[in-house]
Amino acid sequence: MLVARDLQRKYRNFRLGYLWSILEPLGMTTVLWFVFSVLLGGRKLGEQPYFLFLSVAILPWWWFTKGISASTRVFRGNISPLTISLLPTEISVVRVLLVSMADFALSLPIIVFAMVITWTFPGPLIVLFPVAILVQMILMYGLGLFVASVSALVPDFARIVRIIMRAMFYLTPVLYAIANIPEGARGFAVFNPLVSILGLYRIGFWPTESEGAVAFAVGLSVTAIFAIAGIITFRRLESRILKEA
Amino acid sequence: MARIRIEPELSAAVVFDHVSLSMPRSRRRGGQGTRQRLRRLAGESSRQQVPVFSDLSALILPGQSVALLGGGRSGREELLRLAAGTLVPDSGKVRRQGRVIPILDDSRCLTPSYTTRQNIYLTAGLLGMTPEETTERLDWIVDMAQAAKWLDSYLRGAPRNMRQRLVWTVSMATGARIFAVEKSLVIGHGEFMERCWSHVEGLRGDGVTFLVASDEREVLDRFCDRALVLRGGRVLADTTVAEGMELLRSTKRPGSTDQSDDRDDN
Repeated sequence: MLVARDLQRKYRNFRLGYLWSILEPLGMTTVLWFVFSVLLGGRKLGEQPYFLFLSVAILPWWWFTKGISASTRVFRGNISPLTISLLPTEISVVRVLLVSMADFALSLPIIVFAMVITWTFPGPLIVLFPVAILVQMILMYGLGLFVASVSALVPDFARIVRIIMRAMFYLTPVLYAIANIPEGARGFAVFNPLVSILGLYRIGFWPTESEGAVAFAVGLSVTAIFAIAGIITFRRLESRILKEA
Repeated sequence: MARIRIEPELSAAVVFDHVSLSMPRSRRRGGQGTRQRLRRLAGESSRQQVPVFSDLSALILPGQSVALLGGGRSGREELLRLAAGTLVPDSGKVRRQGRVIPILDDSRCLTPSYTTRQNIYLTAGLLGMTPEETTERLDWIVDMAQAAKWLDSYLRGAPRNMRQRLVWTVSMATGARIFAVEKSLVIGHGEFMERCWSHVEGLRGDGVTFLVASDEREVLDRFCDRALVLRGGRVLADTTVAEGMELLRSTKRPGSTDQSDDRDDN
């Protein structure tokens, strides 16, 4: 209910309304596609068709960034409703995460659009697409809680998160494929849970786009660790967050 | 409800069991000025903690209306929040028989850019009501708060005292058996105030428990049958409103020294 209201408020002031949640990532995808495929077309990045390849990963990435950076603001600014809220404190984090997820859901037609214009359709492994969404939700819940509670107490943390996110954008195979990761760095990439998640999103279209079962298991475990660590951090800091309200 | 545990089998309404709490010094106050900024650079990452309660114990029985008396920094609001569970003590335990509804400073939980109706649902939601329950009691809320005229316009445009009325009425609509009230046990003027009075007195007659942190003598005299005087992080006295007020006045002098100490290092 709150989420619907947030979305309503977010888009109320724009003439194109909800269309913006499609246009914004679409614009972004087009720009990146133009730069990396047309301008720098010499070196082959990722799989073909590149436009589809890009959009399949960039939408989840968009969701991830939006959700996490919104989490940094949850317990800052006006948090005085916490003084009377009898609901579990986590709800505030879940709320912004759901808003970002709704945005993601609304932007999914872009992938369909990309499939149509490139006339490429996924194989049976597309069933892993919802699994990817689920894993990403778990990851974001943990990270969101962590980021929200730490930045409530250390305001500088929000800025650090922003820099890390920027770096992660390039360190994660969004623009490129897992195959493009140099051999030496593969070992590290395994520990980046987003690699596994984006792999799951793409595997329906490009069956080769996966790191294999072992790497995937590691990615899942890292996701679980993040989730648990986030929950624990939140539990330990909750009473201090409440004092800030 | 992970944070707020309710124990229906408890024989008291609210129990403060050796509660200690310290709060970080307000950021708002320490925010500006070069001195503060320098101090922050010098490693004030662990912001100064001000003790509010040390080893406070109190027992509130069902049906009592308890006045909380004390000066500006005696921690009355914190005590109400502890009772409701929107603050967690550093040590000790707060136990409650049922949901404790906090009625604090009015406008804080409202969002001016939502409509009045949305704010009603939002506040009710924060207090643990489901949308269905809220819909069920919407008529009563709107009628009591006299909000019909502004129900679907943005709260921003509604008169200011509307906010106070809304929070008060929604809190009452929860139908809880324990209330933790800061200042606004009854609100408004004239006829509206009379309606508030008859409502809360009806509740009191019905055995509902009230914790009231007000300074209005008339309100306390009329409503509360017991007073807790808070001073120095403890319950200084457990007495009647008249005696508590008297005590507060007579001990003001010695008490004010530690308050000025507090102010010095700001």
